Amino acid sequence: MSMLRKCLVWDLDNTLWDGICLEGNVLVRPEVVNAIRELDKRGILNSIASRGDEETAMKVLQENALDRYFLVPKINWLPKSQNISAIARELDIDLGAFAYIDDEEFEREQVAFMVPGILTLEASQVQNLPFLSDFTPAEVTKEASERRILYQTELNRKREKQSFASRKDFLLSCRMKLKVRPAEEQDIPRLCELITRTHQLNTTGLIFARDYITEILAQKTGSTKVMVAELEDKYGSYGIIGTAIAEEIPPEWILKYLALSCRVMGRGIERAFLCAMLMKASDAGLLRTIAEYRDTGKNRMMRALYQMTGFKYDESQSDGEILQFVKSLDGLPEIPAWVKLV
Amino acid sequence: MSMEKSVNRIEEKLAAYIVENCLPKNNSQFIEYDKNLFDAGIVDSAGLVSFICYIEVEFNISVPDMDLLPENFASIKTIAHYIRKQQKVAG
Repeated sequence: MSMLRKCLVWDLDNTLWDGICLEGNVLVRPEVVNAIRELDKRGILNSIASRGDEETAMKVLQENALDRYFLVPKINWLPKSQNISAIARELDIDLGAFAYIDDEEFEREQVAFMVPGILTLEASQVQNLPFLSDFTPAEVTKEASERRILYQTELNRKREKQSFASRKDFLLSCRMKLKVRPAEEQDIPRLCELITRTHQLNTTGLIFARDYITEILAQKTGSTKVMVAELEDKYGSYGIIGTAIAEEIPPEWILKYLALSCRVMGRGIERAFLCAMLMKASDAGLLRTIAEYRDTGKNRMMRALYQMTGFKYDESQSDGEILQFVKSLDGLPEIPAWVKLV
Repeated sequence: MSMEKSVNRIEEKLAAYIVENCLPKNNSQFIEYDKNLFDAGIVDSAGLVSFICYIEVEFNISVPDMDLLPENFASIKTIAHYIRKQQKVAG
C-alpha cells in the first residue's frame, strides 16, 4: 500500500511542538526538527494545516529556524481537509501524494474521509518518519534536495505576476535598463553565438563569419557599424541580448541586420533597441533609414516590428530575396515606457 | 439585442484571447477595445504574430504580411474592423 509521498502536511499543537501555542510556551523536540530536515533533503515538501493564530504560530517557527521549510502554510480555523486541498492546488500536486500528521484521531479520520488516498499518521510516529518507505525515494538527486527552493521561486513568481493590475504595471516594476553601444572586440564570441542561434527575432537569418565581424570592428572609421544591446532588470543582468549591423551613408542609415535573443521576447525589447538606434542616427544628422528584411519562414515578427513602427515596404528597391523598408528619421516611434535607456 | 451581440462577437473573442494569454491573472479582467496593445505592453512583435495565428484560424481569414500595419493591429477595435473587411473580401 505504500507509495512515495510528495508532501507532508503538519498539525502544530501537540504534533509539531509539545503544548498549545495560544496557551503559552511550546517546545519543539529535536526528533521533529530532524524529521523535517531529513524529508526536505530528500525532496519531500513540508506544509502546515493547523488551527490557531497564524502570526503567533509563525513566530514560534521563526524562533526555531523552521519557518523556511514550510510551503504555503495554512494556520486558520477552516477544516483541515479544506486547507490540505488548497495546499495541493497551490503547489499543483495530486492530493493522493499527500501525507498528514496529527495527534488527534478525530482530525486524522476527518482528513482521511474527505481526502481519499492521503496517508494519515499519528504524532507519535514522528521519529519513524525518515524510516517509512513512503518517505524514502530510491535515490536522492541534487534536484530533489533543491525542490523546496524551486517550488518557492515558482510561487513567488506567480504571486508577483498576480499582484499587478495591468501588464504595463508588471513591466514597469521590472525596471528594465537597456544599453545600446558599439560592439567591441571582446563581444565577438557572444555576437557569433547570437547570429547563429537566433531564428525568430532575426531580420535576415544571414550568418556572418567571425572574420567578417572582426574586420568591421577593426575598421573604426568605416561606414559599417556593429551595435550591441545589453539588458538588465531587477532580477539581474542578461548580458548582450541583441546585435545590429548598419551602414551610415549620409543622408541614409541602412540597417542591414538586427537579431535579438528569444530570451527577451514578450517585453518589447526589440522595439526599444530599434528606437534607440533610430534616435542615434537622427542625432547624427541622418535623414532617412532603410531596413533590410529577408523572409526565413520563422521571422515574421521582425517584419511586423518594422511595419508597426512606421517603416513602409519599398517594392521598387526590393529584389526577390532582400526586401527594403524605409522610414524618414523625423518623427520617431516612442520607446516603450517600461524600458529605460542607459 | 441579438443584433448587437453579433456585432460585438469578434471584439469579445479578441478580448478573451488577450485576457487569457497576455494579461496578469487577476480577478478583474477587462480590456478596453480601443486601448493601444503595443503602448500598454500587452503584445510586442512576437506576441502580435502569435495573436495573428489565432486570428487566421478563428476567423478563417489570411493576413498578408503587407497588412501588418498599426492602422490594422493597434487595438481590438482596429483588429475587429480589419477582420470584418477581410471576411467580406473572402466572402
